Amino acid sequence: MTENLKPENNDQVLEFVQWAVTQKMPLDVRGQGTKLGMGRPVEADHILDLSGLSEITDYQPSELFVTANAGTPMKDIYAALDQQNQQLMFEPPDYGPLLGSAVDQGTLGGLVACNLAGPRRIKAGSARDNCIGFHAVSGRGEMFKSGGKVVKNVTGFDLSKLMTGSYGTLAVMTEATLKVLPSPENTRTVLVRWAKDGDADQLNNQAMTEALVSTNEVSSAAHLPAKIAARSAVAYLNSAGSAVTALRVEGPAPSTAYRCAALKELLSKFGDVEELHTKNSKILWKEIADVSYLAANQERAVWRISVPPTEGAHVVQRILESAEADVMYDWGGGLVWLQIDEVDQASKNLIRGSVAQVGGHATLVRASKQLRQSAIVFQPLDPYMTGITKRVKNGFDPEGILNPGRMYKGI
Amino acid sequence: MQISLQTNPVSLQTNPVSLSDEFLEELRTVVEQRLSTVDAVCFQHGKDESWHESMPPGAVVFAHSTEEVSEIVKICARHKIPVIPYGTGTSLEGHVGAVHGGVCIDLTEMNEILTVNAEDLDVTVQPGVRRKQLNEHLRDTGLFFPIDPGADASLGGMTATRASGTNAVRYGTMRENVLSMVVVMADGRIIRTSSRSKKSSAGYDLTRLFVGSEGTLGVITEITLRLYGIPEAVSAAVCPFPDLESAVNTVITTIQCGIPVARIELMDEVQMKALNAYSKFDYPEQPTLMFEFHGTEAGVKEQSEMVGDIADDNNAGEFQWATKAEERTKLWQGRHDSYYAAMALRPGAKGMATDVCVPISRLAECILETRKDIDEQELLSPIVGHVGDGNFHCCFIMDPDDLDEMARVESVNKRMVMRALEMGGTCTGEHGVGIGKIDYLVAEHGEALSVMRSMKIALDPDNIMNPGKIIKL
Ligand SMILES: Cc1cc2nc3c(=O)[nH]c(=O)nc-3n(C[C@H](O)[C@H](O)[C@@H](O)COP(=O)(O)OP(=O)(O)OC[C@H]3O[C@@H](n4cnc5c(N)ncnc54)[C@H](O)[C@@H]3O)c2cc1C
Ligand SMILES: Cc1cc2nc3c(=O)[nH]c(=O)nc-3n(C[C@H](O)[C@H](O)[C@H](O)COP(=O)(O)OP(=O)(O)OC[C@H]3O[C@@H](n4cnc5c(N)ncnc54)[C@H](O)[C@@H]3O)c2cc1C
Repeated sequence: MTENLKPENNDQVLEFVQWAVTQKMPLDVRGQGTKLGMGRPVEADHILDLSGLSEITDYQPSELFVTANAGTPMKDIYAALDQQNQQLMFEPPDYGPLLGSAVDQGTLGGLVACNLAGPRRIKAGSARDNCIGFHAVSGRGEMFKSGGKVVKNVTGFDLSKLMTGSYGTLAVMTEATLKVLPSPENTRTVLVRWAKDGDADQLNNQAMTEALVSTNEVSSAAHLPAKIAARSAVAYLNSAGSAVTALRVEGPAPSTAYRCAALKELLSKFGDVEELHTKNSKILWKEIADVSYLAANQERAVWRISVPPTEGAHVVQRILESAEADVMYDWGGGLVWLQIDEVDQASKNLIRGSVAQVGGHATLVRASKQLRQSAIVFQPLDPYMTGITKRVKNGFDPEGILNPGRMYKGI
Repeated sequence: MQISLQTNPVSLQTNPVSLSDEFLEELRTVVEQRLSTVDAVCFQHGKDESWHESMPPGAVVFAHSTEEVSEIVKICARHKIPVIPYGTGTSLEGHVGAVHGGVCIDLTEMNEILTVNAEDLDVTVQPGVRRKQLNEHLRDTGLFFPIDPGADASLGGMTATRASGTNAVRYGTMRENVLSMVVVMADGRIIRTSSRSKKSSAGYDLTRLFVGSEGTLGVITEITLRLYGIPEAVSAAVCPFPDLESAVNTVITTIQCGIPVARIELMDEVQMKALNAYSKFDYPEQPTLMFEFHGTEAGVKEQSEMVGDIADDNNAGEFQWATKAEERTKLWQGRHDSYYAAMALRPGAKGMATDVCVPISRLAECILETRKDIDEQELLSPIVGHVGDGNFHCCFIMDPDDLDEMARVESVNKRMVMRALEMGGTCTGEHGVGIGKIDYLVAEHGEALSVMRSMKIALDPDNIMNPGKIIKL
C-alpha cells in the first residue's frame, strides 16, 4: 500500500529520508504531483509529499533573488513578485493543463527538478540557469546546501546545475533560490502572417533566424502553423487564417518601439506584419509557454523535441512525411512540440531517429502510464553514458531510494 | 573555524611520483617528440600567474587531438599517474600545480576553431583557442564571444574554471555560455556532454558539472560556445565619484532597476593611479565607474540616460565618453591589465588577488569595510570589481618575504572572506578554488563537500585528474 509521508519542516525531511535509507525504502518525491505525467512512473511504496513546506523564506526586492521552500506553490511566488513588479526571467511554464491537471498547481521544487523554461529561454535560460542555490537532503541522508544568493560563484562543482533537471532522483530539495529581475516596462510582439502554410514551414526558420541574429534583442521567437494559431485567444492570431511567426521585444517603451519598428521592416518581405502590444503579448506568450494549444485531446501523446534551431523545420518535415501530427515551434525553432495519435514502435523510431540525426533529443511528455512504463521516455543513452549516469546517481543516492526509475529504468 | 591561508611561499608539492623510463616511452608512442622532461619546461607548467610557488610535473606532453589525449590518459590511468590539464596557466589559485607530480597535458597546440554556425549562434573550438583569437576569427561574421577574463586565457581553461569577465551582467559567465563539450574521462573514454541543441542534455547535466571542475574530472578537448550578434551600437564611459560609497550606490541602483548594462566596472582611487601610470591615461584619481552600453541606437541612448540620472543622484563627476572603437579597446585593455598595473606600483613585489562576491544590496557595506581594514593595516591594495555581479577583488601588492606584512595580508583577506560569507556571499566569484581556497570551501559549504567528493570518486575513482584541487580526498 502506498503511504504518504508529509514533512512539516526541513528536519522532518531529513528524518524521513534517513529512515528510508536505513529501510532501503524507495520514495516517490512530490511537490503537488502536477508533473507526474512527465517522466517514467516511479517504482516506490511511499510518497514523500513536500507540499507542507511552502513558505517564501527570503524575498527582498532589492536583493534580486527569492528564496522559498521547495513545496511553495509557484502562484504564491508570482503573487509576491508581481506586487514588486518583478519576475522570473525564465518565464516558467505551467504544464498543468497540458498534462491533464488544473492550472496553477506547480511548486518551486517541481519546477527546478524538471528544469522547465518558457519562451524567453533563448535569452534568459532555464530553471537551471536561474537557480543560484539550494538546500537538499541527499539519498545518503545528509542535509547539504550548494551555491547561495550570489549570481557568480565558482566554489567547486556546480551542484545546483546537476540538481536541476534530475527529476528528484539525486536529492530531495527543501529550499531553492532563484534570480529575479524587474519586469520589463513594455512588450511588443511582431507577427508575421504567412500567405500559405506550406511556405511557412520552409521559411519560418529563416524568418526567426534573421530576427534573432539581428541587433533587435529579440527575447522569444515562436512559430504557429495555421491550425495552431487558430486556437489562440488573441484575435490577431485566431483571425489570421494563416500560419504566424511571433517575435518578442521587451524593455523601456522608446527602445521597444524602435526595435519593433525595425523588426517589422526586416520581416515584411516574408508576409503581412502586425504588432501586439503588452496585454496581447502577455496572453500569447503565456499560451506558448504553457503549450495550451496542445492541451486538448488528452488521449493523444505529446512529444517535446529539442534540436539545433535551424534543424527544427527539417525534422518536422521528415516526421510529417509518414505521420499526422499537430506541431508548434518555440525557441527560434529549437523546441518542437508534437501531438500525435499513436505511440507505436514505428512512430517512436521515426521521431527518435529523425531527432538523433541532427544531434537533438526527444522526450515523451504525455502518454498513458502504461506506455511511459514500457517506452523509453527520455532520449536513450549509450551504454557508457548509462554507466556514468549510474555512477552519478550512486554518488548521491547509493541505496537508490529517490524516485527510482523516474528517468531511466533501473536508475 | 580555524583557517590556514597558504600565504607561505613554500611549494606545497608532496611526494611527487617518479616517472619511469618505460612509462615515458609509452607516452612517446603517442606524442613522439612532443614530450618534455626539461626542468625549465616542467617548472613553467607547474606555475600559474599568482604568487603560488611552482609545483612542476614530471613531464609535459603537447597534445594535438582528442584521440591523443585519450591515449595519454589511458596510459596514465593504467599506471595511476596524475594528469594535469594546462591551458595558458593564467589561473590564480595554484590550479595547475602538480601537487603529486605526474604528467601535464599542455593543450595550447590544440588551437583550431572547428566550426562557426552563424545561424544557430554557436561555435565549436579546440581547448587551446584563446579568447582574443576567437574574436578575431569571428570579426567578419558579425558575431562575438563576450566572456573576457583579464588574461588572454584559453577557452579550455576558461571552461574548466567557469571564468567570467567584464560582460557578465548582460551576457553571463562560462556557465551560461558553454553549450556542450567533448571530454576525455579519467579512464580515457571520450564523451560528448550534450547535443548541439540548446536545451542541453538528455539525462543529468554533465556539461555544467564539467564547467568549473578545474581539471579534476576529465580533460576538455572540444567546446561548443554560444555566440552573440555584435550590437548595432556600443558606447563606453568613464565617470569619477567623490567617494567609493557613491560609486557603489550607483551600481546597486542601476542593477536593481534592471538596466541591461553590458559592463559596469569599479576602480578605486589607488587603482586609478595605477591605471594612469601603467596605461598612460589621464583620468581623475578618484573612485571611478567604467560603463559600456550595448544595443540598438535607441537602446544605448536610453540606457546611458537612465544611468546618467542615477549617477547624478549620487554626485557623480563628468562622464567621459569613448565612442570610437579604438578608444574603447584601449580603455578595456587598461581595465584588463589592472593586475599588472597594480604590481607596477611597487616594483619587485608580488600580487595576490582576492575574489569575493556578495548579494548586490550588501556590496557597498562589504567594499567599504574592506577598504577601511586595508587602510588600517597599512597595506597596499587597490580594489577593482565586476561590481554589477556583486564581485570585487583586492589586489594585495606585497613582499612574500616580509612575514609581518604577510600576516596582515592574511588577516585582512580572512576577515573579508568571512564578511562576505556572513552577508550570504561566496569566497570566490570567478578565480576558483585550486589549492588556495580549499579551506574556505569547507567554511562555505560544509556538507556539500561530501557530495562533491562522491562526485569526484564516481567519475575519477583513482583520483588521477588534477589531484589535490578543489577538495581533499
Ligand atoms: C490606434 C490604436 C492602434 C492599436 N493597435 C494595436 C495593435 O496593432 N496591436 C495590439 O495588440 N493592440 C493594438 N491596440 C490596442 C491597445 O494597444 C490595447 O488595447 C491597449 O490596452 C494596450 O495596452 P497595453 O498594456 O498592451 O499597452 P502598451 O503596449 O503598454 O502600450 C502603452 C500605451 O500606449 C498606448 N498605445 C499602444 N499602441 C498604440 C497605438 N498604436 N496608438 C495609440 N496608442 C497606443 C496604449 O493604449 C497604452 O496606453 C491599438 C489601440 C489603438 C488606440
Ligand atoms: C591579469 C589576470 C586577470 C584575470 N582576470 C580574470 C577575470 O576577470 N575573470 C576570471 O574569471 N578569471 C580571471 N583571471 C584568472 C584566469 O585568467 C582564468 O581562471 C582563466 O579561465 C584560466 O584559463 P587558462 O587557460 O589560463 O587555464 P589554466 O590556468 O591553464 O588552467 C586553469 C585550470 O583549468 C584546468 N584546465 C585547463 N585547461 C583544461 C582543459 N582543456 N580541460 C580540463 N581542465 C583544464 C587546469 O588543470 C587548471 O585547473 C585572471 C588572471 C590574470 C592573470
